[in-house]
Amino acid sequence: MKRKLFLFIACSPILLFSQGFQVNLQGQKQQGMGGAGSALMQDGAAVFFNPGGISFLKENSINVGANAVIANSAYLDANTNSFARTTSPLATPFAAYAVWGPDSCKLKFGLGAYTPFGSIVSWQDGWTGRFALTSLKLQTIFVQPTVSYKLCDKLGIGAGFVFAHGDVELKKDLNLYDANGNYAKADLKGSTNAYGFNAGIYYQPCSKLSFALTYRSQINMKVKNGTATFTVPPSLNANVPSGPFSSSISLPSVFTLGAAYSVNQKLSFALDINYIGWKCYDTLAFDYKNNTSSLPDTKLPRCYKNTFAFRYGAQYWINDKFVARAGMSISLTPIKDGYVTPELPDANRLNLMAGLGYKIGNRFMVDASYTFENFKRKDHNLDLNLDGTYKTYISAMGLSVNYKF
Amino acid sequence: MKNKFHTFLGTAILSCLIFSCKPKIDAPNPNKGNVDVTRFVAIGNTMSAGFADGALYNEAQENSFVNILAGQFKLIGGGNFKQPLISSGSVGVDANGNAPFKLGYSTDCLGATSLAPIPTTTVIDASTLSTSVYSSQGPFNNIGVPNAKVINAVQTGYGNSAQGAGNYNPFFYRMAANTASSSMLTDAQAANATFFSVMIGNDDVLAYAQAGAASDAITPSSGITGIGFDASMNTIVNTLTANGAKGVIANVPDVYSLPYFTTIPYNGLTLRQGQADSLNNALGGLFVFQAGNNPFVIEDTAVPFIGSRLIVAGELILLDAPLDKIKCNGMGSLTPIPDKYVLTLAEISNIQNATATFNATIKNIADTKGLAFVDANTFFKSLQKGIVYNGIALNTSFVTGGAFSLDGMNLNPIGNALLANEFIKAINLKFGSLIPQVDATKYRGVIFP
Repeated sequence: MKRKLFLFIACSPILLFSQGFQVNLQGQKQQGMGGAGSALMQDGAAVFFNPGGISFLKENSINVGANAVIANSAYLDANTNSFARTTSPLATPFAAYAVWGPDSCKLKFGLGAYTPFGSIVSWQDGWTGRFALTSLKLQTIFVQPTVSYKLCDKLGIGAGFVFAHGDVELKKDLNLYDANGNYAKADLKGSTNAYGFNAGIYYQPCSKLSFALTYRSQINMKVKNGTATFTVPPSLNANVPSGPFSSSISLPSVFTLGAAYSVNQKLSFALDINYIGWKCYDTLAFDYKNNTSSLPDTKLPRCYKNTFAFRYGAQYWINDKFVARAGMSISLTPIKDGYVTPELPDANRLNLMAGLGYKIGNRFMVDASYTFENFKRKDHNLDLNLDGTYKTYISAMGLSVNYKF
Repeated sequence: MKNKFHTFLGTAILSCLIFSCKPKIDAPNPNKGNVDVTRFVAIGNTMSAGFADGALYNEAQENSFVNILAGQFKLIGGGNFKQPLISSGSVGVDANGNAPFKLGYSTDCLGATSLAPIPTTTVIDASTLSTSVYSSQGPFNNIGVPNAKVINAVQTGYGNSAQGAGNYNPFFYRMAANTASSSMLTDAQAANATFFSVMIGNDDVLAYAQAGAASDAITPSSGITGIGFDASMNTIVNTLTANGAKGVIANVPDVYSLPYFTTIPYNGLTLRQGQADSLNNALGGLFVFQAGNNPFVIEDTAVPFIGSRLIVAGELILLDAPLDKIKCNGMGSLTPIPDKYVLTLAEISNIQNATATFNATIKNIADTKGLAFVDANTFFKSLQKGIVYNGIALNTSFVTGGAFSLDGMNLNPIGNALLANEFIKAINLKFGSLIPQVDATKYRGVIFP
């Protein structure tokens, strides 16, 4: 199983979007309920949602899930009516969890591998913003070993160490024209490892009501030895030399306050409020090792701000086997006016989710979710002077299998 | 109702799943406002003609700002815009039949090889400018004639070689309806335009500036039509508006904003201590040089006895100054840089005063005649400071700035696209039209080998 899990991780490209570079598809049950789940303990996804609640899970389990995400953006230039679409490939973020603890022991162990940040966007050939960006691929995988301890019947705490791996590749055109009519191109590629933590408290004052408080730390992804490849007219090879670069991107902390209420055995509600520390993403800097007068270091202002997300949903057990879920989330964009870029045409979002679960025997359960996002934003980027409207549709479909033992 | 909504929602979600639906954004419809661009005629000089890289050639003509403008006019009912195109098989010609520049490798007198403008070919084309294309291609909408001054635009027989060198223009000979008697203005008038553009007047100062103020003369601001700037410009606009046509007019950019005048620094004489010492010995203390950057020695006949002096900050050395002689033959140190390559403070002042006077005239005409007004002077000045267009950084630095062609005076295709957008903005503002600007990223910059 472990081997298979590893293969699965190694083969999966990752994704994208759901507020800044956040990907909120860490558990199918939770996703069906608007992405809320820090206070409603259902399965191993608690490793991500609230390590403090793992000690309240009644059974050991393995949970493996994946998503297919189709994102389509369009851009209409305000000055020229020039129109472009993205041709972004299918993204498949995944999440896998294992939770184990000796029977009736207050200590439980968890292991999670998931993809909390990422973005894949690729604009059509020749689009008007190609000198800012032609494609961006940002992928992260977090692996999180976790311990959780039940302090008393009502209170559990837990914490996990996060090992983060990130890959990034950014491509754009350069305004240098060769004799064959081709624009020069820049391709910046790098990867890095970094560390952080995820900790949480779970409090269940009575069997129907529970609360959660969690904190996922900021993680600074420093690319120390990236590769910058410039395809330029031959006469400019010495002016714009390919070579190493360094850069960094900070993935924000997320502070979550959650609550869940079970009306009866069949009907439950969940609510998560996230406070996301996007202010850490202030500047995207590229420090080239071989600087020339034509290749100075660059600092691109991003000026993100801290922001909130509200996620809520409900689930209802139709019978012993079937459960239906629905939810929605409101994500407030971290990007200020004047700073929207084609790498991430973010806006305030109202996302709709629905989900289904089905029990197969006593040990297996299959869960599926569907998410739809539709957002639009007009902005005049102050740095690029790119003035236009972005519109994005995102459809995400996910499936997970849960095995209890 | 609720059922219908559910059906709708279900269908929407299902179709999104199957077709992964793509967002649409509706663009506002182009709108002609109070302007009729059915028949558009452009009168102008080098810039309107599509002259670039030191010559008139097919690709540059296709990318003339007026041709780009005419392309956008088609969105609001504009008709065909005919230009006196040079055959795409020809590399192009300047007034003497020389080919345009391209960027290539050039080896200087010191043996150092670097990128520099070099002729596309050294073959002289004697036939292009001596062949009239009016009967095969005309009548023309683009009456843009390289080197034409305001006073030339009203000159009868401006294409007639019988008028003698300096009094006729071979570029106009090519395209004139009547090679003996046409003026640019009569040919423009014959188009019976519903809309016109006027961008002429910079050659009235530029020809003088380009010659280092050593020859040619600034057009007098007053005087009769054909002599004075004011009367000639008034005649042009009065003639073109006579049938009720509307139009757009642009003012004259300051020479300071053109790379031709700003590329070679006044203190570009870079010396090592030994070189400075030997120059000081040779000149016997006439001028004193130091290690590092020094101002060049320039010709100035006003200086008694020696007829030369050190250039001062603010004075300009022109791009066509002979760099090999400066590098290897002591020009600019042992011998002065000739007057024709230098603009002194007094000459610059004359040019700037004339530019200001011309621009006041143009603004006044625009206001009284109800024309859309393009402040080209401000546009070129902002380009000089540096602009960013959809992620592309551009300025007026020679070659590296990306907006000018290799002659340092005329725009390249992306520069022309940006200028065309200034015209579109001015027209939309004045006449309440909604003409989309052109996507300038589709137009090339400088070509590198």
